[in-house]
Amino acid sequence: MTADSFLFFFLAFVTLVSGLAVVLLANPIYSALCLAMTMVGVAGLFVTLNAFFIAGVQLIVYAGAVMVLFVMVLMLFDLRHELAAFTRGKFTGTVKIATVGLLAGLIVGAIMMSSGMLSDRSAQASDVLKTGADTTKDLGTLLFTKYVFGFEALGVLLLVIAIGAVSLARSKGGTHAKH
Amino acid sequence: MGKDIFEILVNGVKLVLVFLMIVQAVPILVWLERRGSAFIQNRFGPNRVGPLGLLQLLADAAKFLTKEEFAPAQGIKLLYYAAPVFALIPGAIAYAAIPMSVPIMVDAFEMFGQTWGPYKFLVQGYEIGVGIVFILGVSSLAAYTILMAGWGSGNKFSLMGALRASAQTISYELALGLSIVGVILLYGTFNLTEMIQAQQGPLSFQFLGYTITSEYLPNWGIFFQPLGAILFFTATFAESNRLPFDLAEGEAELVAGFHTEYGGFKMLLFFIGEYAHMMIAAGLMTTFFFGGYSIPFVSAAEVLAWAQTVCETATGASALTALIHFLVYNVKFALFLWIFIWVRWTLPRFRYDQLMDLGWKTMLPWALANTVFTAFMVYLAGI
Repeated sequence: MTADSFLFFFLAFVTLVSGLAVVLLANPIYSALCLAMTMVGVAGLFVTLNAFFIAGVQLIVYAGAVMVLFVMVLMLFDLRHELAAFTRGKFTGTVKIATVGLLAGLIVGAIMMSSGMLSDRSAQASDVLKTGADTTKDLGTLLFTKYVFGFEALGVLLLVIAIGAVSLARSKGGTHAKH
Repeated sequence: MGKDIFEILVNGVKLVLVFLMIVQAVPILVWLERRGSAFIQNRFGPNRVGPLGLLQLLADAAKFLTKEEFAPAQGIKLLYYAAPVFALIPGAIAYAAIPMSVPIMVDAFEMFGQTWGPYKFLVQGYEIGVGIVFILGVSSLAAYTILMAGWGSGNKFSLMGALRASAQTISYELALGLSIVGVILLYGTFNLTEMIQAQQGPLSFQFLGYTITSEYLPNWGIFFQPLGAILFFTATFAESNRLPFDLAEGEAELVAGFHTEYGGFKMLLFFIGEYAHMMIAAGLMTTFFFGGYSIPFVSAAEVLAWAQTVCETATGASALTALIHFLVYNVKFALFLWIFIWVRWTLPRFRYDQLMDLGWKTMLPWALANTVFTAFMVYLAGI
């Protein structure tokens, strides 16, 4: 077994186990922490694919900022009530099973569709092995030329979300509301 | 033993060495902090155990190790014990990516009946193409250890302290990330080694077709990015939860913040994590704005030429050059660590709303302005 394949299987194992733990653990805090772990594993997988910039951004944005906020908010709630609500009932059970089926279908489909791509990639990788800086430059060029409208539209969407969140929070007095 | 395994082994040993460097620097920094604070406040500080009180560190370590082991009954044992261990990981991984000296060129040599090399031995844990993004990404994971400690302790003061500390870390991460965009634009690379190479020689730049060269100043980033340097250094204070930003442990309000329930060696591990963040900040300040390991006005090639007159083998000359640059790096590095300690004992703590105002309403707009201005100037200079 080469070092590359060892790294891949190790990271894949970590990602899958922590991803399963997100779904299977009853305590939302542990789920959130495991989701962070999943994101770190995915960042590691990006590194093995030579996508260093995406890996770094994955760590900074998702694992470092978004999930920390999730964990912070979860810690502020009394979770016993929500625990009971989420672990009982026929309806939630059906939804769970349906979700698992959907996910399994997605995974099988992804493997079927991408099995050819992997061998293509290894054939290409031998002639041009790009460094992290090159792929970052390529990414930037693509984002600001070919995909510039989609990129800007996403920026506007995020701005709308931010303004909407602020206006929702401030209506009825926000944190200083009188009950 | 195959050559692949040999190289993996060498890299593994390097990682362990970098980690040990961090851990070994902590007692010295603690001593410096206590003596330095005493000097600033006109006291003596610890001066009884050993010469200059240096053995106080050993006594402290022995005390920490022999303290009673306890865990809060209301806490969550797994998170409570995991948090201090996790506190070490982000700092150690991120610091290993900072280059500390020029690479050592090892000539081919005979060992165990085989010919090995030639090798290029980097004086850093590993080189990664997108150095800055990686370091920022890994060190941003430190917020989890704080949250885990606060939640796992099962104590409302711990939890409040943890929430404060992590909110502060996230807020200042934005200003931190934006303040170095100017640096990235200036050098056009994410790679820390390339940045250091770009800062060698006397100050010179091209502007509107003219080349301007100074005789007295080195080509350091601080002269191109003074605002970025100030913003970056300030944000790193907040990132490592040091005074004047140590809202996490406002004694009057929160006892000791997220590590209220920790004692003995577990407490010391948090300390090491905090000092590791200081070291990353000092190392990055040196690398981005003060030329890294390079010596002002003396290029690495000149040092190597001198070393070749002293040493017989090429490997020895390369190792001597690396040692000299390593010492230069450490002088700059130690200076910034001292500034960290100096500021801690000089400025009072902020109030929480002042902290958030400074982060979001002052530093973030200035960092954005710096980014836009630098982009404009880089564009002008390139015409």
